[in-house]
Amino acid sequence: MAFVNLQNLTYKYQFTKTPVLQNINLQIQEGEFVSVVGPNGAGKSTLCYALAGFVPHFFKGEISGSIEVAGVESSKSTLDEWVMNVGLAFQNPFNQISGAKYTVFEEIAFGLENTGVPRDEIKVRVDEALRLTDITELADRSPYSLSGGQQQRVALTSILVMQPKLLVLDEPTSQMDPIGTREVFSVIRKMAEGGMTVVMVEHKMEWIANFADRVIALKDGQILLEGKPNEVLTSDLLAENGFGLSRYTSTAREAKKQGLWKKENLPVTLDEAVKGFKK
Amino acid sequence: MHERLSFYVKRDSIIHGLNPLTKVYLTLALILIIFTSPWYWTPHLLVLIAIIPLGLIGKVGAEFFKTAIRLILPAAGFLFLMQAFFQPLGEDVIFKFYFLDVTQESMMFAFRNAMRVFVMVSAFAFLLLTTHPSELMSDLTRRGLPGQFAYVIISTLQILPQMQAKAQTIIAAQRSRGLDTESSFLKRMGLLIPLIGPLVFGSLAEVEERAIAIEARGFTSKRTRTTLHQIPDTKFDTTLRGVLILLVILSIALNLWLS
Repeated sequence: MAFVNLQNLTYKYQFTKTPVLQNINLQIQEGEFVSVVGPNGAGKSTLCYALAGFVPHFFKGEISGSIEVAGVESSKSTLDEWVMNVGLAFQNPFNQISGAKYTVFEEIAFGLENTGVPRDEIKVRVDEALRLTDITELADRSPYSLSGGQQQRVALTSILVMQPKLLVLDEPTSQMDPIGTREVFSVIRKMAEGGMTVVMVEHKMEWIANFADRVIALKDGQILLEGKPNEVLTSDLLAENGFGLSRYTSTAREAKKQGLWKKENLPVTLDEAVKGFKK
Repeated sequence: MHERLSFYVKRDSIIHGLNPLTKVYLTLALILIIFTSPWYWTPHLLVLIAIIPLGLIGKVGAEFFKTAIRLILPAAGFLFLMQAFFQPLGEDVIFKFYFLDVTQESMMFAFRNAMRVFVMVSAFAFLLLTTHPSELMSDLTRRGLPGQFAYVIISTLQILPQMQAKAQTIIAAQRSRGLDTESSFLKRMGLLIPLIGPLVFGSLAEVEERAIAIEARGFTSKRTRTTLHQIPDTKFDTTLRGVLILLVILSIALNLWLS
């Protein structure tokens, strides 16, 4: 049995005409790191909300099909219990700061306080989470005094500290510099190796190719393609459907047309491109 | 961006170490006593035996006197002048100012009221200077105040300065596109319209995201909440609160008995 199981999931928001998600069938194994790519309006965020329980418990709309995580059916659960298993962090870090706390340390402890974790354990877990994402030195700062990238790290840490079984991330590195992005990706990779299941919406193709186990390409609410990162991210289907390719893939694609790229497979990352052009 | 709507000054003092509720009691007790005590000199005496010592014990003397000079004294002084001049009390005219008579009674009356205002505002100033808002709220939550209510108070204190900063950004953005902000008053009133739109609607849209974010962190969890910081509540606090309640009752009783 897959850890995450979506069966024929179709969802339409109250005020949209066409369904945002159409007939999604998706199985994810425990500890798998899955990345979701797709153009704007493909339904990526809605998929995240569906996994995190906000569809259908928070947004009202028409839903059919089933969402199952860790053997529990979403429609039979409540949002406050669902979030104990599934953590969600999204793009805009500013709106993810609770506003109820004056320091980063307290901010990260917020979720643990809400869910009744004993005081001593809160301190241990927050310290551990701060070390994990390497923001220990921000602990005493006001969350509002941080840069966008730092706030995103705090938002991610605030969810990681709750130790969800399924971690859903909607563009968690959009405001980070390349070093920050690399660190976040490797932390998430580490979490996945520790058994956490990860679903991550991301545009940074090189990073996906380096870190994710599987890629799902979403377009107009349907799964267009899924498979190994290198296969999916270099596929012609993606290029034809308006997906943003990595700069190395686009370059090699053009080079192939000119006969300069001799290999069968196109590269996604710099390393692959360098190797391919050398031969 | 770093500003927040809080007067709290972090110090290590006996007052800071008191339970937040005790400090609320202290503030309310001072206010109730100055308004109910039948004795004329009560507010004046309290300034000497309560307000000034509290400032020194709480190690917020400097901050307090700065606030007092800039804010509380001018307000109390203004009240004093208004009442001294316009209160038609008594016959014992001290001096005339054109057509206005200032009597000894109106002076006394005005002096007491000014002192009352001084004590009242000072008492609140102490509460704010020595009590961290989130500490007060988590203590009240522990005593049964709904978590949602505490959240609304604290997040408002934090988000208002953020909105202020955002308003500045919007104004700057609109000025850079040629919006006139330095002309006549009426024209600038018109300027508020293009500001309010983005500010208000933008904030409304943010509410949904923020709701999702705190919901994802178990905000509506039915489990019993815990708190990160242990808030002190000693025997001394309980005793002090009892004494304060007794003093207030005494003051009210004396007032009723003597009237």
